[in-house]
Amino acid sequence: MSPDGVALLGFLVLFALMLLRVPVGMAMGLVGVSGYAYLSGGAPSLKLVGQTSMRTVTDYQFGVIPMFLLMGAFVSNSGVSRELFRAANTFVGHRRGGLGLATIVSCGAFAAISGSSVATAATFSTVAYPEMRRYGYPQSFSTGVIAAGGTLGAMLPPSTVLAVYGLITQQDIGKLFMAGILPGLLAMTMYMATIALICRVRPDFLPIVKKASWADRVEGLRDVWAPIVLFLFVIGGLYGGFFTPTEAGGVGAAGAFLLGLARRRLGRAEIRASLLQATRTAAAVFTVLIGALLFGYFLTITQVPQKVTEFLTGLGIGAYGVLALIMLMYLVLGCLMDAMAMIILTVPIIFPVVTTLGFDPVWFGVIIVMTVELGLIHPPVGMNVFVIKSVVQDVTFSSIFKGVLPFIATDILRLVVLIVFPIIALWLPSRM
Amino acid sequence: MAQDRPVDLKISIWLPPAHPLVPSTKEWAADIEKQSGGTIKSAIFPSEQLGKAFDHYDMARDGIADITYVNPGYQPGRFPIIAVGQIPFTFADAKKGTAALDAWYRKLAATEMKDTHFCLAFILDPGTYHGRKKVTVPEDIKGMKIRPAQSTLGQMVTMLGGTNVQASAPEARDVLERGVADGIFFPWGSMFLFGLDKVTKYHMDVPLFSAVFTYSMNKAKYDAMSPAQKKVIDDHCTTEWAVKLTSPWHDFEESGLPKMKAAAGHEVYPLTPDQLKQWKASVEPLQKAWAEAVRKTGADPDALYKDFQASVAKYQAGF
Amino acid sequence: MNRSVMDRIIDTIEAIAALFVGLVAADIFLAVFLRRFFSVQIPDSYDFGRMLLGILIFWGIAATSYRGGHITVDLVWASASRRWKRVIDVFATLVLLFVVTVQTYTLFDKVRATYQDNVLTYDLGLPTWPFFAVAWIGDVSAVVLIAIRTYRLIFHPEDLHPEGAPAR
Ligand code: NA
Ligand code: NA
Repeated sequence: MSPDGVALLGFLVLFALMLLRVPVGMAMGLVGVSGYAYLSGGAPSLKLVGQTSMRTVTDYQFGVIPMFLLMGAFVSNSGVSRELFRAANTFVGHRRGGLGLATIVSCGAFAAISGSSVATAATFSTVAYPEMRRYGYPQSFSTGVIAAGGTLGAMLPPSTVLAVYGLITQQDIGKLFMAGILPGLLAMTMYMATIALICRVRPDFLPIVKKASWADRVEGLRDVWAPIVLFLFVIGGLYGGFFTPTEAGGVGAAGAFLLGLARRRLGRAEIRASLLQATRTAAAVFTVLIGALLFGYFLTITQVPQKVTEFLTGLGIGAYGVLALIMLMYLVLGCLMDAMAMIILTVPIIFPVVTTLGFDPVWFGVIIVMTVELGLIHPPVGMNVFVIKSVVQDVTFSSIFKGVLPFIATDILRLVVLIVFPIIALWLPSRM
Repeated sequence: MAQDRPVDLKISIWLPPAHPLVPSTKEWAADIEKQSGGTIKSAIFPSEQLGKAFDHYDMARDGIADITYVNPGYQPGRFPIIAVGQIPFTFADAKKGTAALDAWYRKLAATEMKDTHFCLAFILDPGTYHGRKKVTVPEDIKGMKIRPAQSTLGQMVTMLGGTNVQASAPEARDVLERGVADGIFFPWGSMFLFGLDKVTKYHMDVPLFSAVFTYSMNKAKYDAMSPAQKKVIDDHCTTEWAVKLTSPWHDFEESGLPKMKAAAGHEVYPLTPDQLKQWKASVEPLQKAWAEAVRKTGADPDALYKDFQASVAKYQAGF
Repeated sequence: MNRSVMDRIIDTIEAIAALFVGLVAADIFLAVFLRRFFSVQIPDSYDFGRMLLGILIFWGIAATSYRGGHITVDLVWASASRRWKRVIDVFATLVLLFVVTVQTYTLFDKVRATYQDNVLTYDLGLPTWPFFAVAWIGDVSAVVLIAIRTYRLIFHPEDLHPEGAPAR
């Protein structure tokens, strides 16, 4: 069989295995190594497994992932999400659609500590959803706003997907994190504008909550100052050049731990749970990273990435035509798999195309994460929607999608804005 | 030669495609293809596409790639003999130094790198100290945080009372900018390539250190070739080719010195004979440490060192 | 093997993995703290950090594999009947067992090579193979746990812990 044939067969088997629920990383590793063995011999391919596994797990730079996961776990196990929501609510709750606004604001604040959009969506399904329902918010709007707010988790730093993108493409993770800040804030603003717009079009759609007193507001802020200070310290240190990204994660994790202890929020059980959560998620991410590397080596010797680059750049549809094609592919893949798996599977193939076309790699990181996140909330299926459904059992998929639709419209608008004005993503990193 | 079985070589170089070594390796591989009557074809994989820089020796040994660019100093302790080239103030000239190292190591590779087929060895164009602080004598290193270029320099930093900061070449700018490191040991031309000229001011104008590299080949791949094909490979794995292959890179690094001298805001300063003497005296323990490490492998370090010095003298590669 | 013994093995392996993630954070935090405020570099903190990371990940893979916590594509599975769900689960776990067993075998080879090639740490010149060996034991635990998972999945599906839940 020709290398092209082997590569094609490899992709088919890979998708079959993944659909049969073989873990994504294991499937990629298995197919990658088998393909490598077919083309280059069995003995080298087995050596490749041991070498790649050991090298990946002992790469200091990759430590950024478990460290930021640990920071997020310590903070959220200190009970911060509920307090963030309550504090945000004292400020914006009394406006029309106020609980929705509070959900977006507190999702954004939580996202500044958590690295994952799925985790953010899951957290606020338990925190914000019951509150919205209690005040008579429609089910579809409540779940829709959480699905959209959840995507902030991957946009605002720290972001596990952006970190992984940086590790695969050898881009500066610190710069990528900075690049996510303004687009993330833009997302928050646009989501809130969307809610305001919904309320203007349908004034009686969302009920109003009593206005909070300034005493309540001060009280609310007193509960949330600690995680906000921690975020400013960690991201400020990264921006100001005090730490490398891995160090920022380690310092953030230690800081979250010490703050949790000082505020008596972390007992033995919470500490244990945080350590376990970080370990499990990190292990899951590293499994995919190892698998992706092995699959990547296989693709390298079939020369598929070069051929894809040649094919796409030879289409004659221009750089932005190719970009649109790539984004369309991500939206389709978004039906199948989660953000991490999508990025890891496709970036080794797509990245050379993007750099050949002359796009900025940091900017593309932001664009790709936005597109992938959009894939997680758009119909017919999406990961964030699955997660919300698993927490809010009595809601239907179509009801969530109906609620999330207006936010999808703003997401697409935001993508266009970022493609036209790359400076929104690139300004902060350029100042580092 | 028309009856020779076609061979495909995977050549892995962990440097980016723009690095001078990549195009010159392409020319080298093209010549191999031509001389073999088109029976030995090569594909060059830059940028760690087949594995990490640290693993390149193992990749040749295990057949993950067929010819790889190896920095033996990446794994301290593993290749003690060739590490002699890492001792500071050994080489003053890159091309002559490459010839001296290759000619000497050629007969030793069969023992030290026995699980690969040795092709050729070469050195880095001698680099020096660059930093935010001025360093003129060995005592100046005390209390400083420095990113060494190789493990023997790391030992030197420790010995002189400084601390080592580990970072890859692309990360180097970051650690200097963030004050994680105060200074760096680096070759001249690459200073500009990695943007390190933006974060350093003082540059000691002396060929302080070098580093050693090999092109290593998978044994089975070589053994399976026809005698005619083996001869083509042998003819391209020579001291002459080692110099020719690496000359563009050496020229590139060398051009960095005048460029730095001309650059505004940079101080490039020579050492007085007395200062140089202090430096040479301060690194003597490194030669002893090298001898000790070699002795542990069962080889005779004194004989090896004498032979090495003879080669350096023969090619006029030293000070 | 009876049930409580299996549960204790699983708990211990998870606790060890969790301990190492804490150690990595402590190593990084201390290194940054000492460097910033006292200009002191812990010798080999870089190598220790990355080798502890390796240990944490392999031990973590053991825990994650047992819990079914890997990243998967659930599209087909979610819409399958109970019976087919189990068939898919058994198939996926068997593939997982195979892959991790192969990985463990190749890693043993890697640890042995690290020992034979005398690879040392950067500052202190300590041998690195013991760290690699501890990481490898994590991968061995993964094989054991996945085997337990496979056994329970086929013969005692009621004993299997739900995703993300503690063992007891
Ligand atoms: Na985040
Ligand atoms: Na979708």
